[in-house]
Amino acid sequence: MAVEVRVPTILRKHTGNAKAVQASGSTVREVVESLDSEHPGLREAIVTEGGDIHRFINIYLNDEDIRFTGALDTPVSDGDVLSILPAVAGG
Amino acid sequence: METFEIPEAMVADMVAHAQAEYPSECCGVIGGDGDGPRKLFRLRNVDPDPVMRYAADPKELKRATDDIYDADWEIVCIYHSHTHSPAFPSPTDVERALYPEAVYALVTLQDRQNPELRAFRIVEGTITELKVVRT
Repeated sequence: MAVEVRVPTILRKHTGNAKAVQASGSTVREVVESLDSEHPGLREAIVTEGGDIHRFINIYLNDEDIRFTGALDTPVSDGDVLSILPAVAGG
Repeated sequence: METFEIPEAMVADMVAHAQAEYPSECCGVIGGDGDGPRKLFRLRNVDPDPVMRYAADPKELKRATDDIYDADWEIVCIYHSHTHSPAFPSPTDVERALYPEAVYALVTLQDRQNPELRAFRIVEGTITELKVVRT
């Protein structure tokens, strides 16, 4: 499945400064792997060594937070938009 | 010193937001482009301890960033309030600053009658203050 991935500024150093890139896969996990093969370093920025999404990264598949749809095992469809959104947080 | 130009109306909106949420911290983002800040988005603070910390509601953040993306803008500013401490980034602010390209604006209501606004860049743990220029 071909997916558009929207990349936040902090991660654009991995994409040649592109704010959106194409990737493929049938789950979010596969899309992240596909992204990393084209843009090394992106997976590490999104997923911990333990295989979970980093605590301060939100990932939306279209309008759904993937934490509530199966996390990295969330299925994706052709034409979906994956948005990587670092948290806006502090104290 | 680098300057941060921001419309007076947006400053007023930030301060009003801070006052409305007191004693909780308020938060929001501002979309903009090369011409500067264009639109302020107030966001709900969903941190479990909103008096001491802020965490923008991810769903609202998504809606705001979609609008910003569609307008071909960027997040040029992230603002929040401190209700009992100065308008200076806390260690938590520095630790969770994930938008190095944005200005971090802080409104303090330490003296509720005299809110103060200051602006900073926070890049890889280094805080640099900007001069706020109201336009």
